[in-house]
Amino acid sequence: MTLPDKPRASWLMWAAVVVLLVSMTLWSAHGIGFSLIELVCNIAGGTRLLAESWPPDFAFLPRLFEPMLETVFIAIIGTVAGGIMAIPVAILAARNLTPNRLTWWVDRNFMNVLRTLPDLFLAMLFATAVGFGPVAGALALTIFTIAVISKLYSESLESIDMGLPEAVRAAGGNWFQMIQFGALPQAMQQYVSYALYAFELNIRASVVLGLVGAGGIGMILETQRANFEYERVTMIILAVLVAVLIIEEISEAIRKRLT
Amino acid sequence: MTTIAPQTGTGAIRFNKAGVTYPNGAVGMKDLDLEIEPGQFVVIVGSSGAGKSTLLRAVNGLNALTSGTVEVDGQTVATHSQRQLRSLRKRVGMIFQDFRLVKRLSVMSNVLIGRLGHVSAWRTMLNLWPLADREIAVDALRRVGIIDKAWVKARDLSGGQQQRVGIARALAQQPSIILADEPVASLDPVTTHQIMKDLVRINRELGITTLVNLHFLDLAREYGDRIIGLRFGELVYDGSAATVTDADFRNIYGRDFTEDDLLDEDAL
Repeated sequence: MTLPDKPRASWLMWAAVVVLLVSMTLWSAHGIGFSLIELVCNIAGGTRLLAESWPPDFAFLPRLFEPMLETVFIAIIGTVAGGIMAIPVAILAARNLTPNRLTWWVDRNFMNVLRTLPDLFLAMLFATAVGFGPVAGALALTIFTIAVISKLYSESLESIDMGLPEAVRAAGGNWFQMIQFGALPQAMQQYVSYALYAFELNIRASVVLGLVGAGGIGMILETQRANFEYERVTMIILAVLVAVLIIEEISEAIRKRLT
Repeated sequence: MTTIAPQTGTGAIRFNKAGVTYPNGAVGMKDLDLEIEPGQFVVIVGSSGAGKSTLLRAVNGLNALTSGTVEVDGQTVATHSQRQLRSLRKRVGMIFQDFRLVKRLSVMSNVLIGRLGHVSAWRTMLNLWPLADREIAVDALRRVGIIDKAWVKARDLSGGQQQRVGIARALAQQPSIILADEPVASLDPVTTHQIMKDLVRINRELGITTLVNLHFLDLAREYGDRIIGLRFGELVYDGSAATVTDADFRNIYGRDFTEDDLLDEDAL
């Protein structure tokens, strides 16, 4: 037996892909009026802003503690509440576990709709409903977390070994018991990992949500920016950066323990 | 200790003109008439695809028949009714080739899964097992000799120990029938004999009707009371393990058997 000839790479196809990407980008740049020349000419404005933003106003730091904590609280509530609610949503959307096709279809579309809603839109929606503040932020992140976790988790559940659920059924277990003892333990690790991932996303999202009035540090950021207090803005950004890094380190450490 | 013993005289199985044709057209069972009396130890042999699993899985309704009926203690296995299926499965334990344990849970939790059909759903949801059920689980573990491993996680056990947990889980159901689908196919020869001896001993001690699928002929001859041979889903042999001949095996397999068909290769 000899090694068959290696199939020849199709250069033509690669060239076509590159041409397509470049032309699409150029077309889009033209569409939004993006021009390198303008960018270079206006860079001076940018440097002035940067100069005004330095050094960071460390005296402002103590006043950041409370809103920062609020941001973390919003993220925690969103992750826990959303993480719990994502479980049934994920189970019903897993083809191998769902009780019938109609439930699967309804739940899957529900999940898809949730994922198309941007977190900013959700924050504004809840701010209108329950007023501006951290509660609106927590509610928005709850929905956001369901959207993030349920999709990933239902895919993990679809890839479990169905032998164990069958064994639970064979022992006389009902549907709930099959899920609890046969399915969930197999995808437990992935679930925790997704929940931690959602928590990291939520910390970052809850900063952004503050910009539209959903409480936390983002709200302070928005007021200081509106008042042209750029040295304080720098301080806030630094504080957020440090907090996010710390939280990601912790969650990474937990995730490593899991495997 | 009598916590696990089934009612005497139960565990009868009867196939009436039973047939299974799979959606892809494959025939898993054809016109099977078979009667198994309470307390029998039956070994089912046949090459792969002969319908051994199909037969076992018809008894607890994991596979539905496409024609004929199968009865357990005079009651037809009704695969269309979840309620009736569950009440049947409570009394029928099953043991699998790949053990099918919850690897991240303790041995005890795995054995308690055998009690699921007997405990109300809200209790199992909160993991609040009644004392009586815990005692049954302990008794089951004692019978397979791994009570000392009760709090060890299933994934930390050897293959033979995992299969013992599988047997204990089936025993915890207080079954009148045990179905063992290739229970030793993923074990080494020494462990294989231990597990087969466990199954025989439990059958003798408790009088639980036991059906075991095997593909090793010497094991079938050594441990079976009654041997049932299947070929292309049809019953081609039914007789005592003491009188089965090499010619019978040749007929079941449709070919001369080789050392691959024996666990102990020197026996040929």
